Amino acid sequence: MTQQASPIRIAGDTHVGKVRTMNEDALILEPRLGLYAVLDGMGGANAGDVASQLARDAIRDFVLHRRAELAPKALLEAALVAGSTAVFTAAQQHRERHGMGTTAVVCLIVDPKHVVIAHVGDSRAYLLREGRLQTLTRDHTIVEDLVERGLLAPEEAERHPYKNVLSRNLGARAEARVDLLELELRPGDRLLLCSDGLYGYASAEAIQYLLGSGDAPEHVTRDLIEIALRGGGGDNVSALVIEAPAAAPSSTQVVRTSGAVAWWQHRQRFLQVASDGGLTKNPIVRGLAPQEAIELVALSLCQAIYHDLEKSTGVNVWTFAQNLAAGWFERGGDWKAVRGIVDILGGAARAVVDDIRARDAKLGFLLDVAVSRALIVVELALGGLLAERLRQIDSDLIELHGAALDTVEHDTLETAPPIEGSIERPGERPADRPGERPAERPSERSIDRFIDRPTIPFLRPDRPVTSSGESSEVLGAIAKAITIARGRLSPRAELVAQILVALETVATDSGGNFAAAVLAARELYGVRSVDNAGVMPLFDALDKARVVATSSVHQVRTSPAIRVRVLRALCIAHQRLVAAATGLVLEAVVPFGERLREVQVVTGELREAVARAEQRRADLERKFATIVDPSLPWGARGSTEW
Amino acid sequence: MSTVPTLARSYEALRPKVLQRLLELRSTLDPSLGRLDDATARAQIGAVLDHLGNFIATGDLGLHRAFLHTFLAMRAAEAQSPASVLAMLVAIGDTAAQVAQEAAAGTPDGTELTLLLTRVTASTARGVNDLIAEELGRRVAQQTELTRRAREGKR
Repeated sequence: MTQQASPIRIAGDTHVGKVRTMNEDALILEPRLGLYAVLDGMGGANAGDVASQLARDAIRDFVLHRRAELAPKALLEAALVAGSTAVFTAAQQHRERHGMGTTAVVCLIVDPKHVVIAHVGDSRAYLLREGRLQTLTRDHTIVEDLVERGLLAPEEAERHPYKNVLSRNLGARAEARVDLLELELRPGDRLLLCSDGLYGYASAEAIQYLLGSGDAPEHVTRDLIEIALRGGGGDNVSALVIEAPAAAPSSTQVVRTSGAVAWWQHRQRFLQVASDGGLTKNPIVRGLAPQEAIELVALSLCQAIYHDLEKSTGVNVWTFAQNLAAGWFERGGDWKAVRGIVDILGGAARAVVDDIRARDAKLGFLLDVAVSRALIVVELALGGLLAERLRQIDSDLIELHGAALDTVEHDTLETAPPIEGSIERPGERPADRPGERPAERPSERSIDRFIDRPTIPFLRPDRPVTSSGESSEVLGAIAKAITIARGRLSPRAELVAQILVALETVATDSGGNFAAAVLAARELYGVRSVDNAGVMPLFDALDKARVVATSSVHQVRTSPAIRVRVLRALCIAHQRLVAAATGLVLEAVVPFGERLREVQVVTGELREAVARAEQRRADLERKFATIVDPSLPWGARGSTEW
Repeated sequence: MSTVPTLARSYEALRPKVLQRLLELRSTLDPSLGRLDDATARAQIGAVLDHLGNFIATGDLGLHRAFLHTFLAMRAAEAQSPASVLAMLVAIGDTAAQVAQEAAAGTPDGTELTLLLTRVTASTARGVNDLIAEELGRRVAQQTELTRRAREGKR
């Protein structure tokens, strides 16, 4: 049932539901009177439907005959009282209908902007305004009365056993207490009158969604009933939708409707201009027949823009651009070809828009903006692909740089053993001194220089420590233990072997200071660079060397006392070596920390400088803007070389 | 007589409103704008809006390209990817166009300014893509060279 007599669009329908065998709901759809209502009858066998129909007829007749005499609110109130009287009288006359009654929610359209709503019982009126759903009526149930009086919490009401027991209805008494509401309708407002068979089986969110869908009222009514049925349909379902006339269509709506249609009507022009622009000669479509190229590329974009205009999205155009360029880039294609094809398609789009603008300036303008936005979406999609490709190339470059550095380090190790000074000093990177590579072997001079270098306090090389002062027998046993340990190593454990040598050196040193340990650590540390693996391989090797060396002591043929002294000497040497290595690591990191701080300072200064430069640029641009020749077309007014 | 075009003046009048809208909506417009604190966002967006005004007045693509180059370099130094810079510039341009459309709905100037701002945004997107593509070209050349060296080193 759809009524179109007034500028207000209205549709209403009712359904028996999935459980009941009889529909006790009734509707009033009287466009001549501007009268619309939903009634939900109740009360024993064959009585509910009688009650709702009696009340429906009485209300309609009352309004029909008395509308000239009474003001809208009074008219509606009196009409509902008349309905109640009719039901009550009928119930009194027929014993089997005793106790029948009906709810009623009634809307009287006074003029397109003014309505009066009256209701008794638990049928409801909802208003959807600017996307928000509000309930206009309060259910006349015992539970709602308790909630209103503060005797029951709203959350308890939902679970209350008497939640459906009405406190008011039409027919319980000859008189009826009616709630009335006047409402100013705004453009696009939607009113919903419904029975509890709808809101009891469909959530408020679903009702809001369907009412706000923008679909025609008859579709909304159908969908509302459908959703209540899907929710169980345990009661009769009735819905009546009243839609106030919409305001003038927004620019978005114009583009979605007229704009999209106009665009699609000009598709042949689009294809023609794209073809004339040289689309079929673009490298991206090489190998395709001209017609195929036009259909695959130009028609696809034309369709994508059409669908995006219809839906006010950019997803189709985005997908088109991604598909067009991704494959081309994967095959190693260049940007120039993509840029070229997008320019051709952009030109075709502008030609279509110009045609439409010549006929309808307003629509043409809106379409111009929308199509320009579609072309921006194309650029965004392409930018994403280019940026992703840039990121991939960057990561490949990092790997290639790493491989190149490994090669250089390997060559250096092959040609020259680790030497003093391999740890960079601040501002003295080998890369800063092209062609200058240390080629000297460790010498007294370099050792002296190293010892003279300031280092962290707890590792001063000249700090006195207890001299080992071991006997030649112990020293010999140390050498034997290290030889045995080295023999137990696999050929690949080069670093552990080097550490064993260092351990022997430190353990047999009689200098009485840390110098031997620091020098040995320096040699070891020079072999390792602080690379991606960090310094942990060095410390792992130090630990392995300790285990191998100490376990080898037991294989040395000597007295237990000597073995104990050898073990003690090796352990002390190991501790010193670990301490020295740790110190060197810390020492190596210090310059980086300092350099990081320096870089941060410089970066801050640079940022400020660039900010000043940006400001200066803006000022210059502004200055330039005042001397530009405005008679030239925009885009050709200046030719400054910056 | 001022030679600054009418549209540039209309844009200048609208600029505070655009800036305000962008500051309010920056989190929803673009994640990279959303991450910035208020002062930084104001400075970054302000620089772009300043330049847009100049570009509208001059229509000088060389100038526009130079600005984009600086802007991309600056944002790259702050670890922003070129894609997010592109998205940010488009979001700024698009918002400016929307504000122009709302503020001057129906007036010929408003219509033209909206269209011009949309086209400027398109030029901006294209300019950024050109710059990314150029950078990509340089890196690809670098990659080819390093690959060649690595191959020669293995031999």
